[in-house]
Amino acid sequence: MANIRRSGGATAMFWQGKLPDPRDPQFATALQKQRFRTIEDAASEETAVGWISAGDPTGASFDHEDLEAGTATWLRFRVDKKQLPRKWLAIHRDAAEKARGKKLSARERREIKDDLTSKLLPRVLPTVQMVDALLFADRRTVLLLHTGKGMIEAFGRLFFQTFALPLERTDPLATGRRTGLDRSWQDRLERVEPVRWPRREGSRSARTLAGRAGTRAPTSDPEAEAVDA
Amino acid sequence: MKAPAPGPSGIETHGFLGEEFLTWLWFRWETDGGEFQLPGGRVVGVAIDDFLTFAAPSDDDTEQTLRHGLPTRTEEARTALRQGRRLRRARLIVAEGSRQWTVTVDGPSLQLSGAKLPEDAEETESDADRSADRVANWLALHEIVLALYGTFLRERLADGYLAAAGERQAQWMQE
Repeated sequence: MANIRRSGGATAMFWQGKLPDPRDPQFATALQKQRFRTIEDAASEETAVGWISAGDPTGASFDHEDLEAGTATWLRFRVDKKQLPRKWLAIHRDAAEKARGKKLSARERREIKDDLTSKLLPRVLPTVQMVDALLFADRRTVLLLHTGKGMIEAFGRLFFQTFALPLERTDPLATGRRTGLDRSWQDRLERVEPVRWPRREGSRSARTLAGRAGTRAPTSDPEAEAVDA
Repeated sequence: MKAPAPGPSGIETHGFLGEEFLTWLWFRWETDGGEFQLPGGRVVGVAIDDFLTFAAPSDDDTEQTLRHGLPTRTEEARTALRQGRRLRRARLIVAEGSRQWTVTVDGPSLQLSGAKLPEDAEETESDADRSADRVANWLALHEIVLALYGTFLRERLADGYLAAAGERQAQWMQE
């Protein structure tokens, strides 16, 4: 059995609503319904996303001991991608152009691609990625051990398809709501504006910038609440 | 089944707050030693490590990254603070008891990258024990960052922040 990584990135995600108890068979059944299904023999460009378990990379079984990892439920999903190798396509196009002694038309290029797709793709093995996530049911939090945008989106879709619960990604607002702030402080959090720190150098002083206080600013734009140094 | 369409992202509307959080951690580390008493009796130490990125003040400006050695001690870093720039990303050393993590925090998303968990506990013999130990360390890291952020928010959102804690930070940034 594999181990959980000791290094790398993590993206916290949160849900609201009721998730089946990970100790109940219902939970494993839900994973089974969205299990990974192989595209090894596919004859077209495809991507397959589905659950597997730490003990079985095929997605055929979800034994309780494979899902248990201390205080967390150990989720693992697999993303396989089958694509026509671009370099092979270029090699065949170049060869066809050389044989004809002129550039191929768009239609001829498409025909070569279609021909290669039907010949090569059944022989091409998909790329495989397996990503872990640690689910803390009591905290309604899942730590996805990945930070890539595509993987975060794929995980969010799979989680929703499985449990009908949307995941909210970590960010300063979503995370702030989970720090135990009471209602009035959460209202302040919603409305807070960036501090405009004073500048020792530059053409504008903090005092003149203060006149613009109260406007909503994009990330990194020093705006709004000004501090006089 | 399709997930509902998301509204405006908290990264877009509140990303600045994550940048302020990282800058505040640096301020607290330099001025108070970086020890934090967190809820539940947790005591953690936080220091800025060897990687900093300052946010671009506007779309026309560039981010500035300082890495290796002691970037917080460089003239470039002091100049950026004097210009009122916030930290967009920073590599932190986080310690609690005998456990130590290093992790890069991205301010606008609060994502953790390049994390290194503490060494596996010596008594872990099986794969299952090792995984449970690592789960505990991942969770602890997440909870510490969450608690530090909560501490920051309670200061940042308090009445009179600009005249008190904010003013002290402004003085430090101008040093």
